[in-house]
Amino acid sequence: MMRRYALGLLIGLLGCVFVAHGQEATERFIPIGQSPGLSGRYTSIGQIQSVDSRSRTLTVVADGRTYSVGVTERTRIWIDRSPFKLTALTGTVEDLQPGRKVEVKYEDEGERRFADWIKVQPAVP
Amino acid sequence: MEWRGVAAARLSLVLTGFLALVACRATPQPDPARQLIARGDALFFKETFGGNGRTCGSCHPRENNFALDPTFIATLPPDDPLFVAEFNADLQRNFENPRLMREFGLIQENLDGFDDLENRFVMRGVPHVLALRNSVASPGGPLTGWSGDGAPGDRSLRSFATGAVIQHFTRTLNRVPAVDFRLPTPAELDALEAFMLSLGRQEDLALPLALKGTVARRGQAIFLDGSLGKCNLCHSNAGANAAFGAGSTGNANFNTGVENLPDHPARPTPERMPPDDGLGTPGDGTFNTPPLVEAADTGPFFHNNAVETIEGAVAFYNGEAFNTSPAGRFLASRDPRGVGIRLDATQVVAVAAFLRVLNALENARESLVLLEGAAGKRFFEREAAQRLLGQAAAETAHGIRVLSGAGLHPRAVVHLEAARQDIEKARRSLFRRGQLIKRAVDAHQHARAELVEVP
Repeated sequence: MMRRYALGLLIGLLGCVFVAHGQEATERFIPIGQSPGLSGRYTSIGQIQSVDSRSRTLTVVADGRTYSVGVTERTRIWIDRSPFKLTALTGTVEDLQPGRKVEVKYEDEGERRFADWIKVQPAVP
Repeated sequence: MEWRGVAAARLSLVLTGFLALVACRATPQPDPARQLIARGDALFFKETFGGNGRTCGSCHPRENNFALDPTFIATLPPDDPLFVAEFNADLQRNFENPRLMREFGLIQENLDGFDDLENRFVMRGVPHVLALRNSVASPGGPLTGWSGDGAPGDRSLRSFATGAVIQHFTRTLNRVPAVDFRLPTPAELDALEAFMLSLGRQEDLALPLALKGTVARRGQAIFLDGSLGKCNLCHSNAGANAAFGAGSTGNANFNTGVENLPDHPARPTPERMPPDDGLGTPGDGTFNTPPLVEAADTGPFFHNNAVETIEGAVAFYNGEAFNTSPAGRFLASRDPRGVGIRLDATQVVAVAAFLRVLNALENARESLVLLEGAAGKRFFEREAAQRLLGQAAAETAHGIRVLSGAGLHPRAVVHLEAARQDIEKARRSLFRRGQLIKRAVDAHQHARAELVEVP
């Protein structure tokens, strides 16, 4: 126990990071469903059912199931315009409109689920 | 006179039969793992993924230890895809900085996003991709790239190529898949990963080694001394993994204060070089730990190529930038004298000599593997044998350079030079290839025996 505490303290003092945050900058340009090692395994691909802007909650229908995920200040939102052969853009919660195709990478914290990143396809370019 | 004709005919028959036997020796069954690596090899050096002409090998050339430095860059022709920003109108702004690339070996990266290409970028050196099998694993998942966050997707080494294609291979700054590049397929990612993992050492060393050189042996002792060099704490066994007394904790990031070094060689230029805050957005100031066995051969050093020589890199840990950094202050907090790292000039040189010898031993190991591979090629596999011999010659030359650069082990250098010459002869030879390879192997063994006790 003491050894684990010492190791944790050591990590903090050194400023060394044992948890990888990942390179999400280039993730922006990867189309929905094509994130290597993630899409379909650790993400959900479906359609936006509703958005509650007050609680910042996104409800998605995917694989016949409906689930809700929180959108925080840390959530990256990207607009996937690759089907229109246009560059991906940084988006906002306003771009999360019902009916749009979406891929969500989420993480569970206790009983709540939060979106790490969201890719959304626009209806029109 | 007739008997001469008959004898000649019989001799021809025997010779033809012999050559047929040599050519038709039983073909070994293909090994799927080796085939995957070969596929990855071809992708790494030839596949442009529909982009601007670059391949992975553009920045990670095999002949330069899979890394870039200004000396190697100067040998490239002006139309090399590495210089695409100089002749592609769509990439002339906000893609690379040609001056910083040519003069300092620096590549542009947009780790904090692509919304403001004009202002949000960092300039980093190109790390080698040797010994990845034992250099990227950490308890929280693989750490790739200079800040440990180099890969999109699941952040694995396998996914790294996808991020690299997006950042470096694009035809325009729009970076639209299927327009500016194509993404690697899952099968291609598998092959590229297998190839990268096959490069260099497949396991860490077990120090201490029974070194013969006085200075290198002293350098090893300083390296391993937890109260003096302290190097082994973050670079266990001169690798990329940390070990603080409770066994290896895997590859890790540290804030060692490199960004605070005064007088980075590129800063006096008028070129923009924004501060690099390391892992994450915003960054936490930490950068990833590379292995040291391959260090002496792959400068310049640190994420921003701030230091040119291995002696300078070792000396960095004496300076204020390191000793006032979080890593330096931590080491000081554990030290009874309150000292982080403090080595005198001769001690710095000794540690650097140790690292040079380690690198030379690794060059020799790799050379022997390549020579063994070349020796195993059949008579009609001349092209494959020549390719392996070319790589062995380069590795041998690297070993010579690493030792000669500090005047170390001149007798070993003589043996290595003899090996290099025999390898070059073997490349040109039709019938003496096997004999010359054996001579080169023997020369390498003699060289090795000068560096370390051979059991």
